[in-house]
Amino acid sequence: MDNLFVIVFKDDSIFEGGNYQQTKWKEIPDKQIRSIFYRIPNGDHLILSGYDKYYHMIEVCEDLNGERKGEVRLDFSYIMGKKDGYVRIYKINLQNNNIEIKELEENDDFIKKLNSKFWK
Amino acid sequence: MTNMDFLINYVNPEVKYETTPADYISVDLVHDYLIWTKGDAIVKDLMTHEPTSSELNAAATVIDESLAVIVALCLLMDYSHDIGGAYYTHKVLGMGENKQYVYCFSFDDDTATEPQLEAWDSALHTTILKNVLGLGTAIDSMVKAVCTTNTLPGSDWAGAPLAGASNVLLLNDGNGALVSAADLYSNLKIKIPAAYATPAVETFILTVRYTYA
Repeated sequence: MDNLFVIVFKDDSIFEGGNYQQTKWKEIPDKQIRSIFYRIPNGDHLILSGYDKYYHMIEVCEDLNGERKGEVRLDFSYIMGKKDGYVRIYKINLQNNNIEIKELEENDDFIKKLNSKFWK
Repeated sequence: MTNMDFLINYVNPEVKYETTPADYISVDLVHDYLIWTKGDAIVKDLMTHEPTSSELNAAATVIDESLAVIVALCLLMDYSHDIGGAYYTHKVLGMGENKQYVYCFSFDDDTATEPQLEAWDSALHTTILKNVLGLGTAIDSMVKAVCTTNTLPGSDWAGAPLAGASNVLLLNDGNGALVSAADLYSNLKIKIPAAYATPAVETFILTVRYTYA
């Protein structure tokens, strides 16, 4: 499975994501999600299930000068699940493959400032 | 994927890129670069060759014993030298002044969080130990930045010190993620404290961090 993620909906249909550049997250049909299989850099998968809403984003940086200027570098990917007022965040470092897991309240400033239209 | 285009205003920093794109140069981030300098008869706007290291050294900003010095000039070194004639340098108009539309960050789609501008020692993005970035103390950074996306920076604007992960500039005025394609603006300047003890020729890395879904 080379897709960045595969979504299984409650109606048993599936949706296959793309890659880090073209994730296809915005193309996910408006249906209730049962689970997400999210590929991490070592080839394993995180499985998120049982949340009310899910969020995904890729964090990049682009130097304006220096030896890596103009290169859009993939720094982190995030997959999140929201339930009961809390958001569980898996922050995947795409440089060293570390995964940081944390939980924030739904009204945390970081969560509130996310682009709300990407919640699925 | 959302893409970012970095532009500088070289004609009139009172007009937006959206309304007057001809006043802006899209920076070729692979070949072009910014030069911060005092300037002189050689290193100036509209040079007809790429400045050499010795020319840049001769035009370096001089530390003042009693007054803080703001680096006078920011030039875009335009590798393709194909704008307005065969000119390699273009003055970034409005740099450090009370001007709103100076440095433009144009995003072609929405983002998941608010884009931000950062400054680092190197492309590793791990340290801020250079003199210009405050020798490890972010608030002492000589690089001052202000978001001008929605307003003028004000006369004699102080700006926020830019260095590392803790002192970044939110480019949407703290209003969060972009809900659609948008042009964001900032102004920048480098302010060297009076009688600063360590003269140096230093480079630092400006980077834009953003997200997409």
